[in-house]
Amino acid sequence: MPDKRENIRIGVFICHCGSNIAGYLDVEELEAFAKTLPNVAFVVRNLYTCSEGGINEIKNAIDEQNLNRVVVASCTPRTHEPLFRSSCAEAGLNPYLFEMVNIRDQCSWVHMREREKGTSKAKDLIRMGVAKAALLEPQEPIISEVHAARALVIGGGIAGMTASIALGDRGYEVVLVEKEERLGGMLNRLNMLGPTMTDAGDMVKEKIETITDHPNITVFTRATVTDVDGFIGNYEVDIETKSGNEKVDIGVIIVATGGRLFVPEGLYGYDGRRVITQLEVEEVLGRGLDPAVKNIVMIQCVGSRNEERPYCARICCQTAVKNAILITEQNPDAKVSILYRDMQMYGVENEEMFRDSKVKGVRFIKYDPARPPRVEEGKVSVFHSLLGREMDLLADLVVLSTPVVPQEDADVTSKILTVPVDENGFFLEGHVKLRPLDFATDGVFLCGSARFPANIRETVAQGLGAASRASIPLSKGFVVVEPIISVLADEDACRGCGLCVALCPYSALEVRDTEKGRKVHVIDVSCKGCGVCAATCYQHALSINSFTDQQINAQIAAFLN
Amino acid sequence: MCTGRLDPAIVAGAFRQGLDGLLTVGCYFGDCHYITGNVQAKAKIDITRKVLKHAGLNEERLAFRQCSSGEASVFVDLVSQFDEKIHSLGPLGGAGDRVKAPEIFKKLETAEAALTSEKIRWVIGKRTPFLETGNIYGEIFTEHEFNRAVEMIIVEETQVQEILGGLKEGARSVKDLAKRLDIPPERVFRYITALQRKNLVALQGVNGRSPVFQLTA
Ligand SMILES: Cc1cc2nc3c(=O)[nH]c(=O)nc-3n(C[C@H](O)[C@H](O)[C@H](O)COP(=O)(O)OP(=O)(O)OC[C@H]3O[C@@H](n4cnc5c(N)ncnc54)[C@H](O)[C@@H]3O)c2cc1C
Repeated sequence: MPDKRENIRIGVFICHCGSNIAGYLDVEELEAFAKTLPNVAFVVRNLYTCSEGGINEIKNAIDEQNLNRVVVASCTPRTHEPLFRSSCAEAGLNPYLFEMVNIRDQCSWVHMREREKGTSKAKDLIRMGVAKAALLEPQEPIISEVHAARALVIGGGIAGMTASIALGDRGYEVVLVEKEERLGGMLNRLNMLGPTMTDAGDMVKEKIETITDHPNITVFTRATVTDVDGFIGNYEVDIETKSGNEKVDIGVIIVATGGRLFVPEGLYGYDGRRVITQLEVEEVLGRGLDPAVKNIVMIQCVGSRNEERPYCARICCQTAVKNAILITEQNPDAKVSILYRDMQMYGVENEEMFRDSKVKGVRFIKYDPARPPRVEEGKVSVFHSLLGREMDLLADLVVLSTPVVPQEDADVTSKILTVPVDENGFFLEGHVKLRPLDFATDGVFLCGSARFPANIRETVAQGLGAASRASIPLSKGFVVVEPIISVLADEDACRGCGLCVALCPYSALEVRDTEKGRKVHVIDVSCKGCGVCAATCYQHALSINSFTDQQINAQIAAFLN
Repeated sequence: MCTGRLDPAIVAGAFRQGLDGLLTVGCYFGDCHYITGNVQAKAKIDITRKVLKHAGLNEERLAFRQCSSGEASVFVDLVSQFDEKIHSLGPLGGAGDRVKAPEIFKKLETAEAALTSEKIRWVIGKRTPFLETGNIYGEIFTEHEFNRAVEMIIVEETQVQEILGGLKEGARSVKDLAKRLDIPPERVFRYITALQRKNLVALQGVNGRSPVFQLTA
């Protein structure tokens, strides 16, 4: 409980977020309203509270107005809470005496066409935030050591190999776990790599050699991770290998499990011989194209951008154009036609490759998904949607461009690591823009096509990025854990019954013998602050910092009044 | 923080203060950032809903739904549908609920006490282990068996709380309590003796032939 004698002085900062908030809510009314709330000593509006000017205003007000609680009503705590917390700290206010009210993502953006209702909801939210702020208590961060300065990389494709080498070169130990017999992933099955037309085999070989010779990298092939226990800096990982099980201490984890190519069973007469995928044509080109194959038709967006798989897999157009060029190079009188819905050829090099393919005589024909091409014996019929007429194309070989889809065992990996996947089944990063290579869970990172289909340039960039992110806790040697965790607030009330211990998802609670009898003990760094224990304890002995029963009840009461 | 933080007593308290509807949206099972927090949340909400229903509240006022952070349109649908539902039910204690205002608020006070009590919270906490790994004798319950046991406990615990609530207003005889609360006298007597053993109530005297009890200080 805050000291009763303490005079609570709350400062409320209302952000316009340019026009993101001010354009849809009546911010002047919000300001006037905030002034009427209990314990509020100061209210101001900012064009951008997160700008340097806004931050200075917070700092000055803490000093000049003697504020001991700060409320910012703005965008979202997901992105901006850390910034505002540290601004409070810089002004000498404990950062946990800060409360954020989300009036943009959860209000102005939702109610863009309901100014009055939106404003009234924002008032409710501010009233609730202020009510909670009055009850906030200072907290001190928890420092946890990184016990194992070692990284686990799951998946030995180009992403995982790149990340492993980068971390190994920085001097950290790396354990690389690959499911297959050989490192290399998808690249093992590719021929030449666009847009630079590098030999895929050479690229893989070079990487494998670097890794094999690397003193800091241990590789397990035909191996999988079966269990992960612990938390950032202190994981215990079980690995099943071909020669037995291994247990290793790990500090950080990188997920680089890649993806697989969708096999179009039952689509366009796919048979793996005359109607094949881009992956199969890579193998054909690797062996050398039969000179008798003169007419080739490629069909884009097979099994993608439909109801079942609504996404564009991004790399299929590049792959098709690349292989079309390679075909014309192997077989100069071959005629290649690419039937497309939209060409996805982003980036300078890809655009150049696109132009080059046209110079080499590759034909591009736009089809309408409502009237898809029909593959028949020796020909493909298509309705040319720009010319508006049906045409027949001779076809000795049909190549279907199918999307990269998630690994079949992605859900297993997701459960072992408790990291989420998105609606398509790819791993979901912590934040699209702000944490693109981190999972929301501290200590776990991702890169490559495990995240979303990517070409090699992007995959390598992500592998390097993930390695760089993962090296931060390794090089610091400690991590600072948020103190928003469970605490035994009322030791006398605890009966040591153990109901909470059985429910804790993190094994962060244990019953210990104390002078006062059997009492529950919270293991600080293991606790993630989910709150299951506090919501279960019938003695109300456990509480969650910054989410106490009193604080939640104060918010509810403020909402209902 | 997770949906698992949702304390059943806080939920009941919010309705007692006039809340019309509460929608909890958690992650899909297996996708919980807190591993099993959402499983606990669902167990809590399910049993809380039964207690509130027993108190006379329309059970649709309290919902648990699931969607992922990547499914904006699913979320919008969930919220819109729930909003519509609550509007169709109208304010708490009106035509949409079995017990009407202001009576319902008194009932919700009892429900809140029941949801704070050891017995019901123990049952909520044990739901998953009972259904999955069994009780201390290794007996695994089916969902149906478990729910029947829960229904019984809810009825009993609500009556116990009603008795305690009745005694808050002053000492009362068993007969008097039975009449006021519409609970058979032998039941009241059984609860009272259990409460006496826990030292929560004490015998004050005898009125006619019925013993009179009061809350212990
Ligand atoms: C037909 C085709 C042609 C392409 N052509 C080009 C091109 O010309 N130019 C270009 O830039 N890009 C091209 N690409 C894209 C390129 O293949 C990808 O960018 C690259 O493979 C991504 O690397 P990755 O490491 O993320 O995934 P992957 O290559 O898929 O590697 C993932 C690795 O993880 C392993 N793994 C999976 N699950 C587990 C697990 N649970 N435990 C342990 N290990 C696991 C897999 O066995 C695999 O070795 C092409 C892709 C396709 C399909």
